[in-house]
Amino acid sequence: MSEYRVVGKSIPRKDALEKVTGSAIYGADIFLPKMLYAAVCRSPHAHAKILSVDIGEAAKVPGVKIILTGKDNIGLFGQFLMDQPIIAFEKVRYEGEPVAAVAAEDLDAAWEAVKLIKVEYELLTPVIDSIQAMKPDSPLLHEKWSDYKMAQAANPVDKSNVCDHFHLKKGDIEAGFAESDIIVENDYDGEMVQHSTMETHGSTVLFDNKGLTIWSPTQSPFMTRDQLAKLFNLSLNQVRIICTHIGGGFGSKYELKTEPILALLALKLKGRPIKMFNTRAEEFLTGGCRGPWRIHAKTGAKKDGTLVAHQFTIYWDTGAYATTGPRVSYNACFASVTPYKIPNIVIDGYTVVTNKHIATAYRGFGVPEVVWGYENQMDLIAEKLNMDKVEFRLKNALDDDDESGTGEILKSVAVKDCIKEAARLLEWDKDFKPGLTPEGKLRGRGIAAFCKLTGTPSSTSVIVKMNEDGTVVVFVSGLEMGQGSTTVIPQIVAEGLGISVEKVTTVPVDTLYSPYDKTTTSSRLTFHSGNAALDAINGIGGINDQIRELASIKWKMDVEQVVIQDGVVIGRDNSGNEKRIVIEDIGKSGIMKEQKPVIATGKYSTSEIYDPPDVETHQSKRPTVMWFWGAQAAEVEIDPETGKVEVTKVTAAHDIGKAINPLGVLQQIEGGVIMGMGHALLEEMIFDDKAILLNGNMVDFKLPTSRDAKMDLKIALVETKPHPEGPYGAKGIGEPGMAPTAAAIAFAVSNAVGKRFTSMPIKADDVLLTLKKMKSSDNHRMGGE
Amino acid sequence: MSTQKYPIKLEVNGEWHTLQVAAQHSLLQVLRDQLNLTGTKECCDEGECGACTVLLNGRSVTSCLILAVEVDGSSITTIEGLGQGDQLDPLQESFLEHGAVQCGFCIPGIIMSGKYLLKKNPKPTYEEVQEGLAGNLCRCAGYGQIIEAVLSTAEKAGEAQS
Repeated sequence: MSEYRVVGKSIPRKDALEKVTGSAIYGADIFLPKMLYAAVCRSPHAHAKILSVDIGEAAKVPGVKIILTGKDNIGLFGQFLMDQPIIAFEKVRYEGEPVAAVAAEDLDAAWEAVKLIKVEYELLTPVIDSIQAMKPDSPLLHEKWSDYKMAQAANPVDKSNVCDHFHLKKGDIEAGFAESDIIVENDYDGEMVQHSTMETHGSTVLFDNKGLTIWSPTQSPFMTRDQLAKLFNLSLNQVRIICTHIGGGFGSKYELKTEPILALLALKLKGRPIKMFNTRAEEFLTGGCRGPWRIHAKTGAKKDGTLVAHQFTIYWDTGAYATTGPRVSYNACFASVTPYKIPNIVIDGYTVVTNKHIATAYRGFGVPEVVWGYENQMDLIAEKLNMDKVEFRLKNALDDDDESGTGEILKSVAVKDCIKEAARLLEWDKDFKPGLTPEGKLRGRGIAAFCKLTGTPSSTSVIVKMNEDGTVVVFVSGLEMGQGSTTVIPQIVAEGLGISVEKVTTVPVDTLYSPYDKTTTSSRLTFHSGNAALDAINGIGGINDQIRELASIKWKMDVEQVVIQDGVVIGRDNSGNEKRIVIEDIGKSGIMKEQKPVIATGKYSTSEIYDPPDVETHQSKRPTVMWFWGAQAAEVEIDPETGKVEVTKVTAAHDIGKAINPLGVLQQIEGGVIMGMGHALLEEMIFDDKAILLNGNMVDFKLPTSRDAKMDLKIALVETKPHPEGPYGAKGIGEPGMAPTAAAIAFAVSNAVGKRFTSMPIKADDVLLTLKKMKSSDNHRMGGE
Repeated sequence: MSTQKYPIKLEVNGEWHTLQVAAQHSLLQVLRDQLNLTGTKECCDEGECGACTVLLNGRSVTSCLILAVEVDGSSITTIEGLGQGDQLDPLQESFLEHGAVQCGFCIPGIIMSGKYLLKKNPKPTYEEVQEGLAGNLCRCAGYGQIIEAVLSTAEKAGEAQS
């Protein structure tokens, strides 16, 4: 669609200049007069009773201002179940849980005091995984869910470790299996990984006569404000969140982390700002993670490859407190209906608490995890029916006007185009022999497709202000965390107003003046904030109407005689005289002088289109405003001597509706692919049998480096199905780039080795061990499925 | 923990500073907390991620692993010391052009590693850049644009010389 001037152009990011010069201010770069520093005494045990906390020696350290313990708690917080204390009292439920907090004149003194705090514990049996947690005789982390207040609807099972049960049902699953010619049934799982944002969690908090002021690299300033206001019994105008640059989010900075404990300290030390940032070791314990997951899947198909039944049960190990676990399960259970047409479906999601680190949102809200389960099933069925894996997926993939597994008649579905593109770019049709190559490597390939919804309902609002010189500032309350929103939103606004993008900038987010936005998650920012910005321009009383009014005053015409067309204000009076102002040059026109400010608000809400899913079946005519679709394919080469996997090719095809800034979209997908590769092959948080983390550092928790960026990566931006409700047709891309990556790479590994792996990650030693086992069994052929 | 301070002199970005530093404080802490040069980032505090990379007497080092008292009399260049006035360093310029920046937290460290890499090896191959930046983690980008940005800077410098 070449008629756009700004939208669809790859323009350099507006936030990059301050980032390459080091002048961008991130959370830890906040230094304030009279600032104190905090440090936290954390539990070394995963599950224990707190018998006593002795702060006597610690309080004597010079410079220590205050030490708080569990007795100082003022309440519990949580996004669904309000189950989490600010400081643990009575018992600790995970390694790293705060048992005391110190504020001191400098960081050395704060840490010195932490070392001197003596805590007596009585060890309790730790619940180390969701299997143990689900047993009837398992110790309970939380004795009674119904004792907690509920902030948002969840479905906990009292007297169990299940903090939420989700159930979705479509058609008749038993009838579906009865008419299936082939049924595959398997278990899949994956280990805990961490976002490992370069910037750890932390904030700086001041309590004074105005209330709480918090400088934080948060993804959700308005949710943070709301929860803190409730926790500290303040009104919203007494809690101010000033957002700094975010040094990586990926979901980890979506919820409250250090803010409550610092606010509790600040409450006692009025007028002194208090700062704390996690050390990397603390970050691994408390910075949030993607919990381990287990899937039991049973899928049925006809001989011709038509899918007819899909039963899928997921156990989410969400760690010690519920936090956003129910939301992860909800979103991922909806996505578990697969991007394929299946008439009979049952999905169950059990969100289970264990004595492990608290899980949270992680780029995709559970979707990469469920893709791993259902796409493995698709591969297996295709293999059993001797069908090509691409052909099988295309045969079943959803299309416009199909009914989804969630009961919706779908629109704007390009998943078939994505599967075709990913396959084409990998040259899937060319002869490919998996297994041993002449060079002695094992070669394999795989493909995976996905669907994901964006959280609905939600709302956002935007303020657009035009300055006297015609430049424009946009108060958009979604956060820039690397995804490029401070460039994309100005592009949408510039296109909408008919001016150049250089004239448009965004304003740092501060809840004191920024308008409400739900959160920066769920790949929703471009779509929601973009729509709200266009509403501020084109809506009744919007920027365009205000410009028309100002022009009509200047030209002494009726406002009805002034129109705006293609970035030009045109007035025609009754005598046929015509006046014109090009909006790009509006600052020189004189119409802005001595007038009301040109400021408009805009909103976008999905409440109206949302059809609340049926409580029993979760069927809904519109569970989400936007589905994301895509597919990725991968090729790998494995060294059979070391088990090391090299990802040689990845192709990624994503249904993005319309790319507002193609360069930004490519960046998102490229970054997503590398992160997904880490999840497939490297990253795993390893625990001992007492739920104590063994590799909580950047040496032993392996992340991809530039050495791993060798792959030939081909990206296709599929724009065949612009979203009818999206700004210029755009959909989201933040999470999708990673959604199918790990599965596609893992399938390529299975294909190369000749044996299907069912646990993620697949590390070099797993590959080597599997090869050795295969070698020792007689009926084995080396490599290739 | 000792609270005793020791006097040191540091030349940072061309300017000499006389400082009182604690024995246990790293160069990173002194740069950030005492000199307010917050462009250099703390991330892992164990020399693994490269976010705190600065040039120490012209060589790239992870400033979290160096005690400030050890480098008395040294010359340090941080990200704030690159470029001249409003004129960016060509490597910074290249990062802008190539879309190498996302959240940006790792970028100052990567640019400093890149500076040293290009000083040692003005015409690196793709693999040499991969190797040269292997000590700098980036969690947002896929490294591809970052590597291209370094390579393109080398190419442009080569063209300018020939």
